[in-house]
Amino acid sequence: MVPMTVQRFVNDAWRHGADAITLDLEDGVPQRQKNAARTGTKEAIPQVSCGGAEVFVRVNKPYLYADIDAAVWPDLTGIMLPKVESATEVSEASSLLDGLERQRGIEIGSLQLIVLLESALGVWNIRDIITASPRVTQVGLGESDLCQNLGITATEEDDPLVYARGRVVIEGIAADIQPIGMVFPVSLTPRLQPQNELLQLATMARNLGFKGAICPHPSWIGPVNAAFSPTPEQVTYYTRVREVFAEGVARGTAAVPLDGKMIDVPVDEWAKAVLHLAVLCKTRDEAKQRALQQAGSAPA
Amino acid sequence: MAKHHVRRSGLTMPVNNPRFLNAVWTRGCDFVNLDLEDSVPESQKPHARTLVKLAIPTAAKGGAEVFVRINHDYVEADLEAVIWPGLSRVNYPKAETAEEIRQLDVIITRLERERGIRPGTVEIGANIETARGVANGYEIASASPRIKDFGGGTGYDMSRDLGVEMFVNFDQFVYGKGELELQTRALGLPVHRAAPFIANTTGSVSDADRAFLAAQASRKCGFREGGGLHPNVIEPQNRGFTPTEDEVIDAKWVFERYRGLQRSGQLFEEVDGRVIDIYEVRRAEELIEWAELCAERNADKAEAVARTKVAEPR
Repeated sequence: MVPMTVQRFVNDAWRHGADAITLDLEDGVPQRQKNAARTGTKEAIPQVSCGGAEVFVRVNKPYLYADIDAAVWPDLTGIMLPKVESATEVSEASSLLDGLERQRGIEIGSLQLIVLLESALGVWNIRDIITASPRVTQVGLGESDLCQNLGITATEEDDPLVYARGRVVIEGIAADIQPIGMVFPVSLTPRLQPQNELLQLATMARNLGFKGAICPHPSWIGPVNAAFSPTPEQVTYYTRVREVFAEGVARGTAAVPLDGKMIDVPVDEWAKAVLHLAVLCKTRDEAKQRALQQAGSAPA
Repeated sequence: MAKHHVRRSGLTMPVNNPRFLNAVWTRGCDFVNLDLEDSVPESQKPHARTLVKLAIPTAAKGGAEVFVRINHDYVEADLEAVIWPGLSRVNYPKAETAEEIRQLDVIITRLERERGIRPGTVEIGANIETARGVANGYEIASASPRIKDFGGGTGYDMSRDLGVEMFVNFDQFVYGKGELELQTRALGLPVHRAAPFIANTTGSVSDADRAFLAAQASRKCGFREGGGLHPNVIEPQNRGFTPTEDEVIDAKWVFERYRGLQRSGQLFEEVDGRVIDIYEVRRAEELIEWAELCAERNADKAEAVARTKVAEPR
């Protein structure tokens, strides 16, 4: 997440290996700079994408039309919609995108929407919201606004958003939409932390069902990418699981012991899924690597 | 009012393993879940189906109720093979919609009629193992009166659907379990296996100590059903789900105190800092009733085992 107002951040964003970069027009931009930020988007999009990242723009709910109008250019992957509370808001954004794609020669229906839920109403209406348009690909919480809406002053010890976070995961996956997020308390109050701690927290987030996380600082990107990709140890282990299970099936049994665990169909299918994800992550990393090499000498 | 089922422990086992099948009646479990699904390889499924009719009475020889877990994708072929006298329940894995349950109900109703089974005998266990199942839980649980209990939202399939590791040191399924429990209670059904979280970071399915702790904690949260994959966990589950003697004595004492209060027209009293009132006595009554059902179940099983031993002397 990069605020459009800090030119230095925008200039450097491509270097950090993020899978996606979101240019922020919303909470990271003071009111009096909204216009200037909006004007800069067209130029910033190709600039931040040169390391192979997808580019999103987070728009302001009150300035939806003006912001989307300023953001839809080739190289944009999609729009991040904050503070969504109803399906109507998604339909409205989607129909704006319909028109702009047509006008600007962008493939119809190609622009995606990332939805952020930041109020009780939004969390409650999640199913209608995320199924309101096939453009919605990801959903997450805006945790600090959500706490405000719920009247919660959180302490570090107790996660007040267990239910909301679980609901995003279950409803997201049920609708085939990727839930994104981090674990408490850094999900609510992001901060700089040692890389190994970030890796551990992001791994917990993956094991809650999230598929990725929004990084408030470049130092998060490495550990977050690592945590949401299968580890080399997992690849080795699950390759072995698949071999052992296949041997068992050849012998006529589908319940095969391995190191005190029982390998049956769901374990084998999980192994298959992990190995498949590992291939996808590797392909993505290689594509970014190539883009970085090409761009290495290009941008200033 | 139907008798409350006592299903503290149960063994899920491949129906096509004769060694497991022939020994299962000696294990002391409240139910046996004969599996046609994940523990039976694809190539063996047609053969496994032919075994179910005879496997039901074999598995029941120790007094256990007999269930069959069918395949999500082979409902018709599996149901034809499993709806026979002696079957208590069909477990249907990866339930995701109410329509699936309604279709199961239609087929089971027909087969009960054709095979001389009292209508409505066979329960449907709708196993919730995906996010979609949790999201549609209320409709699924309301889809058939054959669903007598509900819940779930954990396990290997769930972890795969969510893309999370199975054995971690925190409760990755807390929302799904909670959501299903609320749906179940809202429908007035008992909650089927919504175990509180007790970390299993090794992935062992045969850890007796852990099984006891989980069963005991489950009972204290108001859940009564167990089940597992290994004979080692049966005894600890039976023990963990059954009230202890001390608990029964204490409950009877509460009951007597409350009767005394009623006679004197009082609503509550305090004894050594403990309040005896309508809430306490309801809890006590429930505990006494459950302990009696457990004792009855134990006696039934012991009798069945004795009968089998006489009929089949070694």
